[in-house]
Amino acid sequence: MLLLIFKIFTPVLGLLFQEQSQGRMALVWEKAQHPDLSKFLIIGALLFIIGVAGVLTRRNIIVIFMSIELILNAANLNFIAMSRYLQETGNMNAVAGQIFAVFVIVVAAAEAAIGLGIVIALYRNKETIWVDEIDILKW
Amino acid sequence: MVLSGWEAVFFWVFSIAAIFAGLLTVMARNTIHSALFLISSLVSVAALFILLHAEFIAGVQILVYVGGVMVLFLFVIMLVNVGEEERGQEEIFNRSRQVTTSVIFCGLLVAGLIYALNVGYEGIQKRDAATIAQTGAERRAADQNLAASATGASKITKGTEWVGNGLYRFGSLPFEVASVLLLVAIIGSVMLARTLKQEAAVDDVAPDVLEKEAIKDPELAEVPATE
Repeated sequence: MLLLIFKIFTPVLGLLFQEQSQGRMALVWEKAQHPDLSKFLIIGALLFIIGVAGVLTRRNIIVIFMSIELILNAANLNFIAMSRYLQETGNMNAVAGQIFAVFVIVVAAAEAAIGLGIVIALYRNKETIWVDEIDILKW
Repeated sequence: MVLSGWEAVFFWVFSIAAIFAGLLTVMARNTIHSALFLISSLVSVAALFILLHAEFIAGVQILVYVGGVMVLFLFVIMLVNVGEEERGQEEIFNRSRQVTTSVIFCGLLVAGLIYALNVGYEGIQKRDAATIAQTGAERRAADQNLAASATGASKITKGTEWVGNGLYRFGSLPFEVASVLLLVAIIGSVMLARTLKQEAAVDDVAPDVLEKEAIKDPELAEVPATE
């Protein structure tokens, strides 16, 4: 169904935009139908930036940890996309990116376990999860 | 590496879902909602992994992240008190000046990264133009023989086999190091999350701290004695 809509709308939109702006939008639409490596990398970059924004702006330490997971996940997406690109350009055995992604997931799991242990210990002593109230190392 | 047909549709659906779920993770007031949005973002990224023919990583992502790490997160959220946040009494973001600065910084980072990615991708495409054209032609030829509904859609590949081979052939030392890292993480989190009573039970508290705390909680003084 979606594919049908996709296929019907392609020439219609192509016609529409060709008349309006010299086919520039049609080119964009044509490119959007065939996402390649750069699209995956841009999605990864956007997820990374969202994670960075979360780390920098939120006050809740648990949400900051979740943003870090988002950042690591964006890195994973880049690894896998690059690995796939290498596979497509000849080397069918290029799986180093996927192997690296496994290790990133391992490190993320270890980081989450340790970080949440620290959060629990901190909550027991300071009764807060707001990072701006956790200032015992500041003077 | 060019997706087409259904793959392109699924690519846009899952990437937009991943980005919106990521945004909502950062913006949600309720921490549980944040965790649930993070789960949907991770599942969408796992779907993108399947589009990239990395079925094994997609499975690991769902099993480890969604099944393990996120359950841990939800447990911790429920252990600590987030009442004020839910009732809307506490500010969830930092002071507005910090937020403005970091949003401007992130906007610049987005612009820079997208510009750099486009330029870099043009360069890498120019370098690999010949192989891309060749594989594209092969793919189009293969697509000719498929039914219209199956055009370009992913099929189960040998990717998992290659990953397993590569993991044990080239990555066996890091694999062992990763297992030691996980062991250290388990022991570390158990040590970190102990209560004072549990620490006192194994005689792991400084005597002066124990004396001070025992005044507040008389039970604490008895714990080492019962051991």
